[in-house]
Amino acid sequence: MNANDVIESYVNDVAVQLPRKQRNDVAFELRLLLKEGLQDRAEAAGRSVDAAMAIEFLQAFGRPEEVAARYRPALTIIDPADGYGFLRMTGIGLAIIWCLGLLLRLRQPIDSAGDLLGMLGQWWGGTVIPSLWWPGVLVTGFAAAAWARRRWPQTYAWKPRAGDRIIGGRTAMVMGLIGILCGVFLIADPRWILDFFWNGRAAPAAYAALTYADGFVHRQAFCLLALITLNIPLLIVVIVQGRWSPAMRRVETGLSLATCAAMTWTVLDGPVFMASSSDRTVKFFMVLIVAVTLINLGIKLYRNVRPTPEQPAPVNSI
Amino acid sequence: MVDTDAFGKLELELRRGVVVVATLSQLRTQRYGYELRQALADKGMPIEEGTLYPLLRRLETQGLLKSEWKLEAGSQRRYYSLNADGRKLLKKLTESWQGMNNAMDRLLKED
Repeated sequence: MNANDVIESYVNDVAVQLPRKQRNDVAFELRLLLKEGLQDRAEAAGRSVDAAMAIEFLQAFGRPEEVAARYRPALTIIDPADGYGFLRMTGIGLAIIWCLGLLLRLRQPIDSAGDLLGMLGQWWGGTVIPSLWWPGVLVTGFAAAAWARRRWPQTYAWKPRAGDRIIGGRTAMVMGLIGILCGVFLIADPRWILDFFWNGRAAPAAYAALTYADGFVHRQAFCLLALITLNIPLLIVVIVQGRWSPAMRRVETGLSLATCAAMTWTVLDGPVFMASSSDRTVKFFMVLIVAVTLINLGIKLYRNVRPTPEQPAPVNSI
Repeated sequence: MVDTDAFGKLELELRRGVVVVATLSQLRTQRYGYELRQALADKGMPIEEGTLYPLLRRLETQGLLKSEWKLEAGSQRRYYSLNADGRKLLKKLTESWQGMNNAMDRLLKED
């Protein structure tokens, strides 16, 4: 391979990454400029052009991908300002997916090292590799957000947010209140929904599927019902005041944590419904509610800022 | 070592800000890529080829330069020069640069 071949190879690697209508013209110009630059360098060094000198010259010129990118306007998929947020959300999301996947796999019996390796193999193939959908979704979301900010800068300009505002306004709170009232009715007697929709003419199997287990009725039912009912006065106060006061926020956090604890106890303790399929379904939704609530509380804790001057490190006296 | 790294990065950022103005300033007369690089280097502003040549195409795409192929000394060369918009932009950037330069002179002047 002589110096000309090296330059041809380099020019081709650059040009192939350019738009078709531009690449031949750029390649022609770049080849001439590289040859002239290389010749100049060889004359300055007092030697003739050779392949080694051409490679050294082109390596200093830059990787073909970088040089080709410089010929076009910079393309930003994720705004640099979003880089750390993207990494954080990717890491947290993948950690949650992988941990949940591992917990599900750990439910199967593991009696030997072979079983463990098999389980890890299943986890790798069934959870870790498929979990790559999450970074893909994030890239799409962040790219769409970056595009929207550039397209409508005024809409996405920063605006002050009141910490005590009600997300969704009073309408959302009223909807939440209605939802809680329905929830209270359902917990009191889930068969109510069958009467509501089928006017008491639902199949006996449907009534059987929604019959509570005795253990649940005697242990967790009252506790859950009381905790959910306590949300009603809380929401009414917030709707009337039109804002969340710090005290109301603390009460809400306490209620959420207590409800999560009660639901976890319910899931772990025993059957909620006599019918196993209903039991599995309701427990799945309880786990989902606990997970979403804890994630929401975690996010609030993370976003909590208390401006405080950093204390200087103590100086050790000798 | 940290100081050297920091200096290198910050100096690169400073240079990045002036590369376009320096390039435009030397294209008031028609020049081809290698000749332009030599002109910049001779005046104390060497710019790497891998940066300069793509920059010429980008500035042309942005409508600031005009270019044409010419046969000079038996070789085809693409010559670039400022067009009307490029001249207007250079005038504005020059005023801006001189304002910043004066401000920096005042800021960096030791009392």
